[in-house]
Amino acid sequence: MVVSVEGLTKEFGRFKAVDSISFDLDRGEIVGLLGPNGAGKTTTIHMMLGLISPSHGTIRIFGTDVAEDRETILQRLNFTSPHAAFPGRLTVLENLTVYARLYGVRDPVTRIMDLLERFGIARLKNKPVSRLSSGENTRLGLCKGFLNDPELLLLDEPTVYLDPEAAIQVRETLLEMQRLRGTTILFASHNMREVQHTCNRLIFMSHGRIIASGTAIEVTRQILRENREVPALDEVFVHVARRHRHEVLSR
Amino acid sequence: MKFYRVKAVTLRHLYEVRRNPTHLTNMLYWPVMNIVVWGFFTIYLAHRGSPNLVSSLLAAVILWGLFNSFQRDMAVGFLDELWSRNLLNLFGSPLSVTEYVAGLLSVNLIKACMGTVLEALIALLCYHFNIFPMAIAFVPFVFNLVLFGLAIGIAVTGLIFRYTTKFQVLAWGFAGLLMPLSCVFYPLKSLPAFLSPVAWMLPTTHSFEGMRQAIAGGGFSRQHFQWGIALDVAYFLLSALAFHYLFESARSRGLLVKME
Repeated sequence: MVVSVEGLTKEFGRFKAVDSISFDLDRGEIVGLLGPNGAGKTTTIHMMLGLISPSHGTIRIFGTDVAEDRETILQRLNFTSPHAAFPGRLTVLENLTVYARLYGVRDPVTRIMDLLERFGIARLKNKPVSRLSSGENTRLGLCKGFLNDPELLLLDEPTVYLDPEAAIQVRETLLEMQRLRGTTILFASHNMREVQHTCNRLIFMSHGRIIASGTAIEVTRQILRENREVPALDEVFVHVARRHRHEVLSR
Repeated sequence: MKFYRVKAVTLRHLYEVRRNPTHLTNMLYWPVMNIVVWGFFTIYLAHRGSPNLVSSLLAAVILWGLFNSFQRDMAVGFLDELWSRNLLNLFGSPLSVTEYVAGLLSVNLIKACMGTVLEALIALLCYHFNIFPMAIAFVPFVFNLVLFGLAIGIAVTGLIFRYTTKFQVLAWGFAGLLMPLSCVFYPLKSLPAFLSPVAWMLPTTHSFEGMRQAIAGGGFSRQHFQWGIALDVAYFLLSALAFHYLFESARSRGLLVKME
C-alpha cells in the first residue's frame, strides 16, 4: 500500500475542514478526489504534503508516518497545485533547475528539456515566468511535478486553465506513467468527464467527510440512491454541490 | 541536511539577484552611497579631530553596512518567496527549514561580502583608509555580527511565517532600531549610564568596541569577543526556539499555504 490515511481530521478553531476521513491508495492506482469547493480536498492534500499539521489521525506514505520523516517521503513524491506559483523574474529554465536540484535529479538539463518538450513549452525556456499565460504556468507546474519521476503524484486540479488538447496530453502522460512505472496518482478535480476517463476509483467529499467511494458507477448509485446503469458524475456533482450549499446556508 | 538542497536555495537567490534590480541596488548601490556620504562626513570631522576618529568611523560604516545588509537580506530573501507565492512549491519539496535557512545564509554571506569589499575599496581609493591590513583583527567581530544578523533574520522570518506580512517592515527596520544602542559610531562610555547595561547586552556593541580598540592599537579584545559570542549563542538559541514555535503554529493554522 502506498498511502494509508486513518481518522484524518483538521480543525481550524471550531471549523472542521476535514472530518475523520480514512482511505488507502494502492500502487499504480489513479484515484479521483472529488467534491465541491470547501469539501476538504485541498486541505487533505496539504496535510499529505506536511504543509498543514493534522488535528487528529495519521497519514502513512510508503509505510512511513508523514509526521516522522517528511523529507524522505517528499523525495519520492511530487505535486501540482493551482495555489502555488514560481518566482516571476526567474526564467522557466532557472525555476526548473532550482527544483531539479531540490529533488536531487540526476542529469537535470536532459530531464528538464525532456519535460518541456513533453508539455509543449520548450520554446519558453528562457522566458521569465511572470510573462507566461495561465495555461503555460499550469504546464510549468506539471513539469515541476514530474521532475523527480515520482512514485506518488498528488494533483490538485492539474488541468485547470489548459485548453482541451493540452488537457488530453496531460491525461495521456498520467496514464503512461501509471502503465510504465506503476505511479500512484491522487487526482483532485472539478472536471467530471476527465475524472471518469482517468481514474480507477473515486473518493467523493463534502463538508470534510467522505460521502461515497468506489468506481464511477458505484459512486453514482451511492449518492443518487438509484440503480443507474451508466455513471452520471456531472449529475452526482451538481447534486452534492447543491446539498453542500444548502447546508452551508442553513448553518 | 543535504548539501545539494542548500545549493539549490543559494542558486534560486543568485538567479533572483541577476533578475531583480532591487537586489543589485541593495547589494552594491547602498554600500557605495553609505561610504561616500559618511566618507565626506568623516573628512569634515578629520579637520577637527584625531585621525583615529576618521578610521573608526569609516570602519564602523563598513561593518555596520555588512551587519545591516546581512540581517535585512535574510528576511527579504524569505519575503521574496512569499511575494512570488513560491512557499507551497518550496516547502512541499523535500527541503527542510534548516536547509532553507542554510541556503539563505550562504547567498547572503556572498552578497554582504561583495558589498563590504566594494565599500572597503572606495574607502581606500577616495579617503585613503585601508581596512584590509586590519581585516584579520576584525574577523572575530565580523563573525559575531554575522551570527547576530542570522539570529535576527531567523526571528523576523519566524514572525512573518506566523503573522504574515504585518511584520515585514522589521526586515528593513530592525537593525535601525538597534543602531543607537549598538555604539556604532561612538564609544560605549559616551552613552548615559542607565543605557550602558542595555547596550552591553547587544553583541553589536562588543563588535564595535572591539573594532575601535584594534584601530586604536590596543590589540585584540578577548573580553569583547567573548561577550559577543556568548550573547550571540544565547540570542541564536532563543531565535531558533521562537522560529520553531512560530513555524509549527503557522503550519497548524494552515498559514504556509495561505500566506499573503
